[in-house]
Amino acid sequence: MLRTIAFGLLATLLPAQNLKEFEKKVTEFTLSNGLHFIVLERHEAPVVSFDAFVNVGAVDDPAGQSSMAHMFEHMIGKGIPSLGSKNWPEEQKLLAEVEKVYDRAEEERRKGPRADPAKLKQLEAELKEAIEKANADVDPNAYVRVINENGGAGFNAGTAQDYTTYFYGLPSNRIELWFLLQSEWFRRPVFREFYKERDIVREERRMRVESSVQGKLQELLLATAFMAHPYRNLIGWASEIERLRAKQAEEFFRTYYVPGNVTISLVGDVNPAQIKRLAEKYYGSIPAGPLPPPVSITEPEQEGPKRAALESDSQPLVMIAYKRPSQTHADDPVFDVIAGILSSGRTGLLYKDLVRDQKIALGTFAGASFPSGKYPHLFVLFSVPSPGHTVEENEKSIYAILDGLRKNKVDAATLERVKTKIRAGLLRQLDSNSGLASQLAFYQVEYGNWRTMFTGLEDINKVTADDVQRVARKYFNEAGKTVAFTTKPETEAAAAKADAK
Amino acid sequence: MTIRNLIPLVFAAALLAQTPSYKDLKYPPLPQVKIPDVATSTLPNGIKLYLLENHELPLVGGFALVRTGNLFDPVEKVGLAGITGAVLRTGGTKAKTGDQIDEQLENIAASVESSIGETSGRVGFSCLRENTDQVLAVFKEILTAPEFRQEKIDLIKGQMKGGIARRNDDASGIAQREISDIVYGRDNPYGWSQEYEHLDRIQREDVLNFYKRYYFPSNIIIAIQGDFSAPEMKAKVEKIFADWAVKQPPVPAFPPVKAKAAPGVYLATKSDVTQTFFHMGHLAGMLNDKNYPALEVMSDILGGSFSSRLFREVRTRLGLAYSIHSNWGATFDHPGIFQISGSTKSASTVDAIQAARAELDKIRTVEVTDQEVDSAKQTVLNSFVFNFDSPGKTLSRIVTYEYYGYPRDFIFQYQKAVEAVTKADILRVAKQYLKPEDLTIVAVGKAAEFGKALSTLGPVKTIDLTIPEPKKTVAAKTDSNSLTLGKQLLQRAQQAVGGAARLAAVKDLTQSIDMQLAAGPKAKQLIQWIAPGTFRSTQELPFGKIIAFYDGNGTGWLVTPQGSAPMPGPVVKQVQDQLFRNMLTLLLSDRDPNRSVSATDAGAVDISDKEGHSLRMEFDKATGLPAKLSYESPGAQGAPVHVEENYAEWKESGGLKYASKVVVQQGGQKSADASVIEYKANSGLTAELLGKKP
Repeated sequence: MLRTIAFGLLATLLPAQNLKEFEKKVTEFTLSNGLHFIVLERHEAPVVSFDAFVNVGAVDDPAGQSSMAHMFEHMIGKGIPSLGSKNWPEEQKLLAEVEKVYDRAEEERRKGPRADPAKLKQLEAELKEAIEKANADVDPNAYVRVINENGGAGFNAGTAQDYTTYFYGLPSNRIELWFLLQSEWFRRPVFREFYKERDIVREERRMRVESSVQGKLQELLLATAFMAHPYRNLIGWASEIERLRAKQAEEFFRTYYVPGNVTISLVGDVNPAQIKRLAEKYYGSIPAGPLPPPVSITEPEQEGPKRAALESDSQPLVMIAYKRPSQTHADDPVFDVIAGILSSGRTGLLYKDLVRDQKIALGTFAGASFPSGKYPHLFVLFSVPSPGHTVEENEKSIYAILDGLRKNKVDAATLERVKTKIRAGLLRQLDSNSGLASQLAFYQVEYGNWRTMFTGLEDINKVTADDVQRVARKYFNEAGKTVAFTTKPETEAAAAKADAK
Repeated sequence: MTIRNLIPLVFAAALLAQTPSYKDLKYPPLPQVKIPDVATSTLPNGIKLYLLENHELPLVGGFALVRTGNLFDPVEKVGLAGITGAVLRTGGTKAKTGDQIDEQLENIAASVESSIGETSGRVGFSCLRENTDQVLAVFKEILTAPEFRQEKIDLIKGQMKGGIARRNDDASGIAQREISDIVYGRDNPYGWSQEYEHLDRIQREDVLNFYKRYYFPSNIIIAIQGDFSAPEMKAKVEKIFADWAVKQPPVPAFPPVKAKAAPGVYLATKSDVTQTFFHMGHLAGMLNDKNYPALEVMSDILGGSFSSRLFREVRTRLGLAYSIHSNWGATFDHPGIFQISGSTKSASTVDAIQAARAELDKIRTVEVTDQEVDSAKQTVLNSFVFNFDSPGKTLSRIVTYEYYGYPRDFIFQYQKAVEAVTKADILRVAKQYLKPEDLTIVAVGKAAEFGKALSTLGPVKTIDLTIPEPKKTVAAKTDSNSLTLGKQLLQRAQQAVGGAARLAAVKDLTQSIDMQLAAGPKAKQLIQWIAPGTFRSTQELPFGKIIAFYDGNGTGWLVTPQGSAPMPGPVVKQVQDQLFRNMLTLLLSDRDPNRSVSATDAGAVDISDKEGHSLRMEFDKATGLPAKLSYESPGAQGAPVHVEENYAEWKESGGLKYASKVVVQQGGQKSADASVIEYKANSGLTAELLGKKP
């Protein structure tokens, strides 16, 4: 790497130098309850972006409650005691009543074949009525409305396998509004309209998975590749989503939404001293709690290739995955480099071979981390066969390329190009408040230090051609392989063969 | 509830009492927004140049905006603009191939990319400051001296065909495409559908001509921002573009939208989904309409955000949809489409559409509340600063206004107009502009599982999603050299098999064939043919006998173990395709006025007829005999399959040579081996004999 620096190429991209410049604008502090703040000053425009990053994700869904972490992403818009209700004391009682009725209905249902159908029907009617009564006191979407009226930009939330994130921006003079609204939600979110939102999450599953071939294929890949680890579940099972309870959500919140499990980043036209004051004022009194446990399941070692077929009338798709260690493993940067060698721009090996030269694919992709990186996960390859070309042909060519990585050392020019692109990629992310807020919090939560954003580049720089070959040999093998692909429904395939005569 | 749980609750309640409401917050005034200076100039050759210094990061980026668009596609070549936009970059320049440019740019983490959309063309670039000169040079070469290499035209055409084959795989994509095509009408550039046959017709010459017509200096705006000094950059750009002096007549206006309302309920069936994706809409207006600000506020209240009426009603209250939006849809230079769109589980399709329609009716009949109008206005006005949160936004906005002929301060006029919008304005524009009677409603989903029938909403028209097969009539070269050479090649082959006179003298032919299918089974086939197009095939398959008869005039019959039936349309087409490939008539194509024959660069001939059949014949260089036929055959589903027939082991019968071995490949894989056991011409077959059912 030193040689590159001496040549002056990309001198501006030296991680250490960037980090030093960057650190001058960053203020960090931790409240006594454990909540961590990262503040980055960017005074280009009078706006500020926030990202509240919670170290809890779909992997933490309790048994039988898949999509519970995801429900919180939906509950942020439901508000807090002081916003979202027409009459909070009354609503609070009604919400408690809903849970009581629900408990009684559950109790009867649990009798199974001995349950009294008439009683069950009666209880279900009561439950419906109780829910409607509680909903009558809701001031719908008030929390979001107030944020929008104050110029909120990009209000949203997201749930990943490893984390949940809540973010938006405001004009910088209205920063205190965010402190008030977000801290109140972290103190006491209200699970109002929980059962309606449960239906919406069910709809989201229909949209993203059940009505999308790619969604179905991803779900199949994960469920096949992972035998035990919660990474096996993409978005939650329909039957479990339909049974989620508000009281379970309360329990989940108490376990995972403790201040020590939250990192907040603020980026924009801010004064760090003022931020500290406001942080103490709004977040300081949230009681501390014990840190939640990590996932206790370790995926057993895979001992042979797995294949899973998805019958579909759509045009063919194929995903190939290999087991790899977590993002904190020393080989992590090597996987990033390999993903770059395989699929970056028009010089990636997959594009050059399958798309450009052989024309057997319309598009290809290699991803270093799927579905998330905190626990051992997957290196994935994805291909979209061209008309008249098959999944098998695409697979064959992909394996030949991976074989090449095992047999031959990658050339110096390719290695250097990939590293340069990764470095420049970071630089290009440094010009947006919302992007920076998300990156800072992500690295802080996932790697324990936001500086990894920069120092990680040093690890990338250290990757050698030997490393690439070693990692390809070690991980891209049959024992750790899973393939998910689409195939025409059997009857149709048979008919197609008959037609071919 | 346990005692342990009670404590935090009480504690929270106590805190709640102390927490100020958001209503009590006081905000200081917002600091003045810095609006960056954009240096504007026109170069001597007519290029308009916009420069904006931004020294935050050591990066430089920019783009050329070209007045062109796929609205200028010729009707028979839909896709020409898209291909031109893509190959402008991938096809390389005179000096370097596209692949070489890929390496050069990616080595320095830079990019130059090109595309043509509906109403503009764009060539953008991005690089680190220290590579500015090198990358600007590539940007200039791409813009002024593209080479459009054939291989990259073929590559993108293949990719676009793949796109066509896959266009019905995504329900949401189908809904978006169909509403637009129906509202604009399928008979004009706004609603044309791109098909295989369009792509087949597009040749390199078309691409070159399209490029030449639109890529000239006075038709181009260049905008650059980043870590540079504006005067230096201006000098640089002026210098590198100084030798580009091409002139063309001014580009005409885009075709006007002439669509008439197409109210109705349209259904596209997709069986592998659990949700219905629906869109409803009609023609909207333009951004320069004086009522545009009121319409935007109206549309925002109706379905613009997480706190809109549609979201509140259809998603939050009824729990019917994850996604539900409305958009007034005005565009810069032609009427856009007002749309409400969403997705809901199959069973609640009609309920969700009705709920959304009810909101549409409501906003046209009753004034919105004070709170709603205030909230919507506050939303626009308080977030206004985000239009200026990066210098790049200002530059793009100014250039876009310039391109479409809007005043530079359009956004401030808009801000002012929004401030003045009243409840009465909103009702007035909703009444005037929203037209429920004109609504086109498109639903894509599993109709069998809709709870209520879609016809509850009105008579349902079915959208046919069938993808038309390619017709390759114009794909072959038409220059006189290729035509002459084609004839020569074909005549050599005629000689090789026994002479044109012998070929022409064949009045009927009987062939018996043993077939080994790659899929497993063996089959025997007897083919009887009478010139020009009467045909009978008898196949013996493991499960029984199939006899097909075709009378040469569009009808025929089939007899299978299941019984007898008139020949179905798709089979008629298959037989006609097969007749076109009859080697005897194929070899005499140069004598048929309905057929055209032309040579390819590689010494093969392309043969096509006026019905849209086409194929390529390759020859054995030594003997002149046909060696291979290749053609596209309708696939079982979706995209056509590429078929190759390879000929070998030539034998003779009655003075005519025929290939006794034929190997068939489909989609790159072997599908069958055929051995011709018997080959007999002029045995006196009659149509009566062939047409007799067993």
